[in-house]
Amino acid sequence: MFFHIVLERNMQLHPRFFGRNLRDNLVAKLMKDVEGTCSGRHGFVVAITGIENIGKGLIREGTGYVTFPVKYQCVVFRPFKGEILEAVVTMVNKMGFFAEAGPVQIFVSNHLIPDDMEFQSGDMPNYTTSDGSVKIQKDSEVRLKIIGTRVDATEIFCIGTIKDDFLGVINDPAAA
Amino acid sequence: MSLVTDSPVHSSSSDDFASYLDAQLGSGSTGTSGSSADDETDNESDHESERIKRRKAEKLEILEEPEGSTSREYSEQIVDSEQIVETNIKQDSCSHPGSFGGMCMRCGKSLEEKSGVTFGYIHKGLWLANDEIARLRKTDMKNLLRYKKLYLILDLDHTLLNSTSLAHISSDEEHLRGKVDSREDISKGSLFILEHMHTMTKLRPFVRTFLKEASEMFEMYIYTMGDRSYALEMAKLLDPKREYFHERVISRDDGTQRHQKGLDVVLGQESYVLILDDTEQAWTKHKDNLLLMERYHYFASSCQQFGFSCKSLSEMETDENEGDGALATVIGVLKRVHTIFFHELEDELAGRDVRQVLKTLRKEVLEGCKIIFSRVFPTHFPARQHQLWKMAEQLGATCTVDLDDSVTHVVATDAGTEKSRWAVKEKKSLVHPRWIEASYYFWKRQPEESFSVDQKASS
Ligand SMILES: [Mg+2]
Ligand SMILES: [Zn+2]
Repeated sequence: MFFHIVLERNMQLHPRFFGRNLRDNLVAKLMKDVEGTCSGRHGFVVAITGIENIGKGLIREGTGYVTFPVKYQCVVFRPFKGEILEAVVTMVNKMGFFAEAGPVQIFVSNHLIPDDMEFQSGDMPNYTTSDGSVKIQKDSEVRLKIIGTRVDATEIFCIGTIKDDFLGVINDPAAA
Repeated sequence: MSLVTDSPVHSSSSDDFASYLDAQLGSGSTGTSGSSADDETDNESDHESERIKRRKAEKLEILEEPEGSTSREYSEQIVDSEQIVETNIKQDSCSHPGSFGGMCMRCGKSLEEKSGVTFGYIHKGLWLANDEIARLRKTDMKNLLRYKKLYLILDLDHTLLNSTSLAHISSDEEHLRGKVDSREDISKGSLFILEHMHTMTKLRPFVRTFLKEASEMFEMYIYTMGDRSYALEMAKLLDPKREYFHERVISRDDGTQRHQKGLDVVLGQESYVLILDDTEQAWTKHKDNLLLMERYHYFASSCQQFGFSCKSLSEMETDENEGDGALATVIGVLKRVHTIFFHELEDELAGRDVRQVLKTLRKEVLEGCKIIFSRVFPTHFPARQHQLWKMAEQLGATCTVDLDDSVTHVVATDAGTEKSRWAVKEKKSLVHPRWIEASYYFWKRQPEESFSVDQKASS
C-alpha cells in the first residue's frame, strides 16, 4: 500500500553549500539520501513530494557543518497482511515462486499455489494447470495476497498466496 | 522531478490513512506526530556535539525502541481496523514447512527460530524444514523420473574448468593474453579474462558438448568450494543462455559444513544423484555417488599448487584432447549409467539406486584380474588401506598378497623386484600403478603395454 506521510530528518550540510542555493542543495541531498531507502517503520521511500518545513540550522563547532531539521512529505510503500498486490515473477522452482513488487520480495510457496497447478521443470520452469490454460513462469505478472510481511532496514520480505478467488496470473508473457 | 513546498499531492483517502498511520507511529515518540528524526553520522568530538548527540541518541532510542516488536503489531492493528479479509489458513495447525524472511512460507506467521536447512543459493532468506525437504524430494523424483532424468552435481575447478589469478600467470603463459575470447558471445569461447575478479579461466575441452548431452539425462547443479560470486561468474561462462542450472548453483557459502560438500542442500534423493568432482575428500558421506575426475590442470599456477614441477598445458601451448579427454570419457559413462537405470534394470523404478549401477559398472572394468603389488606401498603400510588397493577392488579386480599362478598382474614401479622378475618369467602382466589409476579414470581396462615398467631402472 502507498502512503503519503511526513517524515523528519536532520540533514548535515557542508559550509560550501551555503548561500543562495542553500535550500536547493538541502533538498537535493535529501532526495539522494532518502529516496529508495527502506525503514522498518515506514517501508520503502518511493519519492519525496514536498518540503514541509526546514528548521533552524545548528552550527557544529570545529567543522562548520550545519545541521538542519527537515520535515518532508513523501510517498512510502509498505505491504500489509491481507493486501492484494500485483507482482512480477522472478524465479520459479519446485518450492514455489518468487516475485517482486518494486522493492518487495514475495515468496509464494507451492503450499499456496492452487492444487491443480503442477510444477514443470525444464528450460523454463513453470506451474501449469492440468488443462494447460494457465501458466506461471518467470516474468509472468501475478495478483497475489500478502499473508505475512517483514520490513528490514534495507529489504521487505513477504509471504504471498494465490490460493484464493481472483488471484493468479494477470498477464502471461508466453501468450503474448 | 520538481519539488514544491506546498505539495498538492494530498488525496483525501490516503490522507486519512496517513494520519492514522501518523497517529500510530507518533505514539510513544516526542509528540511531533508522524515524524521521525534519523541522523547522519558525524565524527565530531567536542563537548557541545557530544551533548547534542547524546540528546539525539535518547530521542532516537525512544523512537526506535518499539520498532522491531511493534511494527508488526501495528500492521496487524491496521489490518484489523480495516477488516481486511482474514486468511483461510488455520495458523495453529500449520507445521511450518519452511520460512522466508523469518516467516512461515505456508501460514505467514513470524517464526522465532530458524529450523531445518538454509537454501540461500535459491533465494536469500529461504529455509526448509527437514520434513519439507523430504516431501519435495519425493514429489520431484516422480516428476523427474517421468522425464527419464536423474540428478547430476558438477564441481567447477579442475573438473569443468581451470582458473588462475591474473597475477600468477607465468612468463610462458603470457601468450594467452592475446588468445582470450570475447565475452560478446560466450558460448563460442573457452578462454576468458574476468577483470573484476582478476581471474583467467579456461574451460575444459568438450565441456559445451558435455553439458548439452548431460542436460538431456540429468537435472544439473553446480557445486563448488569457491565463493558465491565466483560460482555465479563461472555459471555464466558455462551456461550463458541459462538453460542448464537456473538457480541450482551452490557455493561454499551455501553449504552446511565447512570444507565438505553435502547432498543435504540438494533437493534430490540420494539414490538418484551422481556427482562429478576431482576431490574425493569433499564428499566423505557420498563416495558412492561420486565419479572421481582426473584433475584438469591447464594453468601453471594450478600445477604448482598441486606440486607438479612440469610445464603446464598452457605453457606447452597444448590442451587436453577434445574427443577422448576426461569429459568425453565421462559422458560415455553417464550415458551408460542412464541407460542401465532406465532400460535394463528389472525392479520397480522408484526402488532403483544409481549408486548400485555405478558400482556394478565400475566392477566390470578390471573383472577377472588378480593383482599383486610389489613394493608399491611403504613398508608396514596396511596394504588393504591403500588407495590403489581399494581402487583396484572397486574396479572388480581381486587383490592378493600371496603369489601363486592365479595372479594375472604384478603392479610395480621397479622391474627388478622378485615379483617383477617372476612376472616376466611366467609371462604375467607387469604394469605400473598408473595402469590402475588410468583404468579407474577412463572406466576402461587400459592396454597393459602402455603401462610397462621400465626395465632399465631395474639393474
Ligand atoms: Mg574441484
Ligand atoms: Zn506455518
